[in-house]
Amino acid sequence: MRAHSASVIPLRPLLLSMAISAVPFLAQADTKGAAEALLNSKCQTCHLPTDKGLNRIDESRRTPEGWDMTIVRMMVSHGVELTPEERQTLVKYLADTRGLAPEESAAHRYLLERDFTLIEQPKDQLVADTCARCHSYGRTGLQRRTEEDWRKLVHYHVGQYPVIEIQQGGRDRDWWEIASGEVPKRLDKLYGLDSEAWRKWLQHESVSAAGQWRVVGHRPGWGAYEGQATISSNGDDHYSIKLTLNYANGKQETAEGKAVLYTGYEWRATVKQGDMNVRQVFTLSPDGQTLSGRWYQAGIDAIGGRFEAVRDGKEAPARLLAVEPSYIKAGTTQQVTLYGSNLSGDVSLGEGVEVLKVVERGTGKLVVEARAAAGAKDGVRAVKVGDSQLDKGLALYQKLDYISIEPDQAMARIGGNGGAMPKIPVQFESVGYANGPDGKPGTADDIRLGYFPAKWTLDNLNAYAAQLKDAEYSGRLQEDGLFIPGDAGPNPKRKFGTNNAGELKVTAVVDDAGHKVEASKPLVVTVQRWNDPSIR
Amino acid sequence: MNHMKPMNRKAHQVEVAMEKGDTEEVVAMAAVVGCATTFDPGWEVDPFLGVAGLCQPMEADLYGCADPCWWPAQVPDTLHNYPDWGTGKDAATKDWAQLQAVFPE
Repeated sequence: MRAHSASVIPLRPLLLSMAISAVPFLAQADTKGAAEALLNSKCQTCHLPTDKGLNRIDESRRTPEGWDMTIVRMMVSHGVELTPEERQTLVKYLADTRGLAPEESAAHRYLLERDFTLIEQPKDQLVADTCARCHSYGRTGLQRRTEEDWRKLVHYHVGQYPVIEIQQGGRDRDWWEIASGEVPKRLDKLYGLDSEAWRKWLQHESVSAAGQWRVVGHRPGWGAYEGQATISSNGDDHYSIKLTLNYANGKQETAEGKAVLYTGYEWRATVKQGDMNVRQVFTLSPDGQTLSGRWYQAGIDAIGGRFEAVRDGKEAPARLLAVEPSYIKAGTTQQVTLYGSNLSGDVSLGEGVEVLKVVERGTGKLVVEARAAAGAKDGVRAVKVGDSQLDKGLALYQKLDYISIEPDQAMARIGGNGGAMPKIPVQFESVGYANGPDGKPGTADDIRLGYFPAKWTLDNLNAYAAQLKDAEYSGRLQEDGLFIPGDAGPNPKRKFGTNNAGELKVTAVVDDAGHKVEASKPLVVTVQRWNDPSIR
Repeated sequence: MNHMKPMNRKAHQVEVAMEKGDTEEVVAMAAVVGCATTFDPGWEVDPFLGVAGLCQPMEADLYGCADPCWWPAQVPDTLHNYPDWGTGKDAATKDWAQLQAVFPE
C-alpha cells in the first residue's frame, strides 16, 4: 500500500518475498524501526534469514488476529518475552507487511467479527475433513502459505497433538500420506502465499479513516440505531473514535476509544460504549468512503451489533442508508424514518406507497407519514430521497406469512458462578416474511420484511431433555428474547451432577394486528471453552 | 452391531441411528462454527448435535481431555502448551472455578 495523504509517509511498493529490511509497510519510521528491532532481537534468534526473507515468517501471510495468535504461541510455548506494547507493534508490522488483501479475508469475516451463529460452508471438503474437526475451516482459510509451509504446519500439528491421527480416522486410511502429501498441495492451490490480490493491495493507495462519519446499524434485541462518529488520527495508523448512537427503541449510547488500522483496512478498536467494553472489527473500504463490520462486548461476543458508516459532512456524497421500520402493511398508514447523509430532494417510497406528509426534515434524518395502498403488490420497494436510493428500502406486504427466529444457529454457554469465563447468552429475534410470488414459504422469492416484536417461551427440546429438566436448569429466556444460560460447574441438584447444559426449544409468537404467527428453533446450551483464541 | 449390545443411552442412540440408516448423515453434519466435530463424544455437541451424549459433568473427565490433547482447540493441552494449567487444581469437579482461560488478552 502507498500512502495517499501527507499525514502518512509515502511507501515503496515492493515484493513480499524480499528481505525484511526492504519490505513495504505503512508505519512511520520510528515504529518501523521498533518493529524491525523486535524482529531482529526476539524473532530472528530462531527464524534465521534465508534468500526468501526470514525463515517461516516470510513464508506465510495472515490477518492481525492470525499474527497475534502466532506471537502468543511463541510466548506461551517458546518463552518469547514481549510487553503488550511490543506484541502490538509486531502484530501491526507483520499484518501490514504480510497480511491478507480485503478480498482474501472476505469469505471468513464472521470469525474475525466473532459471530459464531452459523455453520460454515467449506470451499474444499478435503481441507474441511483435515482441518475443521478441531477448529473452524475459516481459521485455515484466513492464512496464506507456501506449499512447504503448509506441510510444516501439518508436521507441527502431529508433533504438538499426537492423538490427531486417531481423531482424523487414521486407522481407516493412510491418513499421514494424505495429510502430509495431498493436503498441503491442495492448500497451496487454494490458499497459496503468492496472490494477485495481495500484489495489487500492496500497490493500493492507503487512505486515512479520520473524519466525520454517519452511522447506522442493528443491535439484536435493541433494534436499529443511527448516529455519528468522529475519528481523529493519532498518527501511524492509530486513531481515536467518539460515537453517539440513537436506537429506534429510544435508548441512547455514547462510545469513546482507540483504534488501530491494520493492513490498510482492518479497523480494530476498543471503546467504552455505555457501560460495556466493546471491540470493533470493521473494514475500511479501499476508497476510504465506508467503514463497516461488527462490534461486540469484550469477552461476551454474542452481545453486539452490525455497523455501517459513510463519510459525513458537507463535502460527503449524499447517501440514503436505512429505512426504519423496514416494512409497511398494505392498507395502513405509519411513520417511516429515513437515515442518511446530506439527504435532500423529494422522497419516494416506491410503487403503492404514498408519502402523505413530511413530518421532519433534516439532511441526516427524514420522518414521513406513509400510506400503503390496500391492494398494493407484495415486494421490497427502492426508497429515494432526491438522487439517493436504497434498493432494499421498504417492504410492503399484505399478510405476515411466517416468521423465522434469528440467530441462525443458537448456542449458549454456561459460565460465571465464580469461574473464569462469563456466561455466553443468545439474543433471539423474530423476522417476518411474506411468501412472495410463488405463495410458498422457504423459497428464493420470499420477502424478508424485518424484525417483529414477539412473545417468547422456552421448553425442553425432547423427552430426554424433559427427563433431565433442562428447561429448569439450563437458563432463562427474558421477555426481550435474551436467553441467559445457567451457572457453570457441576450441578449437584442434577442427575449425575451434570452441568447446566441442555437441549431447549425456543418459541416466538408474533401478533400482527390479530394475526398470530409462531415459530420454534432448537437452542443448545453447552459448556465453556477454556481455550478461546482470537480466531476459533 | 450383531455381536454388540448397547449398554447405555448414548450407545443405544447410536444403534438406533444406525438401524435407521442415519449414521452417515449424522457424522457428516457440521456443528456451529468453531465447535469440535470429533464426536467421541464431542466437546460442545455430540454426534446428534445435542449435549445429551457428552461427558457430563465435563469436569469429571476434564483432565482426561487436557492430557492427551483431545480437544486442543477448546481445552488447553497439558502435554505441550499448557503443562501447568491444572497444577494445584487436582479435582476439577471441585476446583474448576480456579481454572483459567489460556489465551491472553
